[in-house]
Amino acid sequence: MIAATEAAGWAGMQFFGRTTASVSHELKNALAIIKENAGLLNDYLLMMDKGMPLEPDRLRLVTGRIDQQTQRADDLIRHLNRFGHSVDEKFTSVDLNEVLALLAALSSREVSMQQATLNTEVEASPVMVKTTPFWLLTLLGHCLSFALQVMGPSKDLVVRVTKTEDGGLIRFEQLEKMRQHPFPGESESALFEVLGATYRTEPEKKCMEIKLSNC
Amino acid sequence: MSEKILLVDDETDFLEVMSERMGNRGMEVTTAESAQKALQEVEKGGFDAIVLDLMMPGMDGLEALKRIKEKRPSLQVILLSGQATLEKGIEAMKLGAMDFIEKPADINELTEKIRKAKAQKMVLVDKEMESKLKSIINAKGW
Repeated sequence: MIAATEAAGWAGMQFFGRTTASVSHELKNALAIIKENAGLLNDYLLMMDKGMPLEPDRLRLVTGRIDQQTQRADDLIRHLNRFGHSVDEKFTSVDLNEVLALLAALSSREVSMQQATLNTEVEASPVMVKTTPFWLLTLLGHCLSFALQVMGPSKDLVVRVTKTEDGGLIRFEQLEKMRQHPFPGESESALFEVLGATYRTEPEKKCMEIKLSNC
Repeated sequence: MSEKILLVDDETDFLEVMSERMGNRGMEVTTAESAQKALQEVEKGGFDAIVLDLMMPGMDGLEALKRIKEKRPSLQVILLSGQATLEKGIEAMKLGAMDFIEKPADINELTEKIRKAKAQKMVLVDKEMESKLKSIINAKGW
């Protein structure tokens, strides 16, 4: 168990690093667009000083972009903040619907870099499980990376939350090439152990599911 | 004569605003949203410099840089990145990038680098022409 905890801890650190690097990269992109649009407004002012007329529609376009990118940056920071708070409690009740939504938000760049589409399907009501939220996110992050590696040519992934009698499960679907790649690896095995979670792979159905309990 | 630039980035909002700002500074800008589209534009030729994002879906900036240099060795490439690590910078220079800038970039700094890129390209093109002429002269025995 000590070895599993250490391995899970290190996997968590790596996931933390990878996630913050990815989100901060996206933030930089949003800030770059805001900066350039602010610069463009400055360009328009200089042009006005030289007597060139300014079309209100152009201004609206620029301010619209600034507004949109500010919202994007705010969303990114909000998700990063929630991720940061996932270590507040070592063992607590969480809603798998919300965990999946956060995972999707944190992984959006990883998914788009693979030119893939991630479709999430959640239950209408909360699916509560008792777990270590940060390690759960780490495990699901690893599972998503695996799913991106083994997805089919359509590059469409589906991740689904389903309520069970004693908790819930998260199912990764359309894993066309899963037979060709070993899973779980050392990190994932350690995470399953420390989380007390179980998994099942169904290569014929091209899916994999992780089961968690609310006890 | 204005600089002819190919601007490559997967963020369309960034492409739109940068191409307008560069256009306001007298440059002729073509945009491409992916490395693949950029390579198609490079095939058409006529660019003085390329401003290329490092991290893009599919083919990334470093792979695109390699292929651009294979097709058009004299074309100057300036890499833009949201995460300008020393490691990536060195790799980019080894592959033949002219420069490596971190986003958000200062437009005046970028404009200056583009002007230098055009000048550098002209020097290389002149050298290439000179070399070709020498080959012809030698071949003819003049």
